[in-house]
Amino acid sequence: MRISLSQFARIGKWSKQYANLPERYIERAMNQVYWKNPKGPQYKPNAVIQRKKFYFGVHRPWTMEFKDENQPGRYHPKVFVEPVKDWSYFRGDRVEVLVGKDKGKQGIVKSVIEERNWVIVEGLNCKLKNLGKNERRNFEGVYVQQEQPLLVTNEVALVDPSDLQATPFEWRFTEQGDKVRVSLRTGRIIPIPKSVEETIDYKSKSTYKEQSKDTTADVASEITFEPKLCTFEMDIMDEMGIKEDRLPPKTYWY
Amino acid sequence: MAVPNKILGIYNLFKQFSSRDSLKWATLRPVLISNRAISTSNPQRGLMEFFDDKTNWGANEIKCGRSWRKEELRLKSNSDLHKLWFILLKERNMLLTMEEEANERVQVFPSPERLDKVAESMENLEEVVRERNRAYHELETGETGERPGKLATNIFGLNYFYKMSEHVIPKYMNKTWRKKYQFFKHDPDVEAFLVKLRERLYLNKRRKHTRDFNHVIGLLNRFPNMDMEALKQQYPDVDIERAKRSRKYGGHFEPK
Repeated sequence: MRISLSQFARIGKWSKQYANLPERYIERAMNQVYWKNPKGPQYKPNAVIQRKKFYFGVHRPWTMEFKDENQPGRYHPKVFVEPVKDWSYFRGDRVEVLVGKDKGKQGIVKSVIEERNWVIVEGLNCKLKNLGKNERRNFEGVYVQQEQPLLVTNEVALVDPSDLQATPFEWRFTEQGDKVRVSLRTGRIIPIPKSVEETIDYKSKSTYKEQSKDTTADVASEITFEPKLCTFEMDIMDEMGIKEDRLPPKTYWY
Repeated sequence: MAVPNKILGIYNLFKQFSSRDSLKWATLRPVLISNRAISTSNPQRGLMEFFDDKTNWGANEIKCGRSWRKEELRLKSNSDLHKLWFILLKERNMLLTMEEEANERVQVFPSPERLDKVAESMENLEEVVRERNRAYHELETGETGERPGKLATNIFGLNYFYKMSEHVIPKYMNKTWRKKYQFFKHDPDVEAFLVKLRERLYLNKRRKHTRDFNHVIGLLNRFPNMDMEALKQQYPDVDIERAKRSRKYGGHFEPK
């Protein structure tokens, strides 16, 4: 049994979608194993001491900032996250901010942090952050605007594309069986934006630029399999001209 | 640069050994005339095949596609899978070498997720090969043809999956095996240990239940307009009505 971190920490599907990293790497990157039992009959199998409680902020689990926030011995106060049934806010959605100094403004969702029920809206709900302030060298530092996360439960609302007004919505099924978000005010479907598919490597799957070591799509989808009544090893031996006609001696399995 | 010197050193070492042994081997080894003399693989770079392309040295990021999926591998013939396995193996060797080299020189190993992509592909490929072999064996013999195993209880009374192995002599003659693999026999000390172990597991379970129960109360207090169905979905073992009857539920004010 592979010890999986997923039993302790849940990283939402939509929070890792944009990074386009394999699940296995994310687990490996955020894992903090302090002790693992060696293999042997005298040891309890799979006994492991590892960090179980992770603090999820705006930094993604595979970044150095996340490692810094969760370094061994560093713990954070408990965060209560409201359970949400279906995640409904995606990258590229137009939302209206309901709180703060940008209340009433509309913007596009830039990133999604499912672990905290957060979205970051592009250019809205910003805070000024000072970078590089150094009193010794008499440098005032540079101020940058930094978007702060907003709760999806009560701080943002989806915008109905038909009249560009914020609206409550619910998930419903169309006659074709697709699950869609429907505006409760106008009854129109709020389509899921195309940029949901977008990742850091490509805008859409069709526009992906193949790298030097990639197998091209036509080669990958080419069917070369022919059903044969033989095992993999028999087929390879046959192809290489290896003949094996020795009879194995009697053996015992236990 | 240190890397070429190091490689040169290893290469010289190999050459030394091979030149010393070449005379001895020349008489022993039969000359093979292979029908596969024409190789279609990439030009050989010797030991440098353990290293990445020079253009990638010192790069911050090396982009690559995703790993092979099972459904794609199922389309491929056995010989294709065989070739792909060795391509992946070479790639893994290269990545591990580059990682080791980067660690040694205290540099960042670019795009470490490549290792996981290769490992995932290799796992999928092995699973597809085993699928095919299982299908053959089940058709021909009615058995899976895989390494047999069974659930066993070890000497400490813990259950585990025992993987059987192949032996030339039967079990009753195999003294070393019998000494090495001892299974559960009744023992009062082990029984006492198991009672304590079960108590510990039970307490862990109960503590988790209490923890979840208190967490639900915390959620109810913080989010009065919460979606109750979502709460039930996330904490199916918690009795929400009971949580609402708890004295911890509700604020410090007189109820209406």
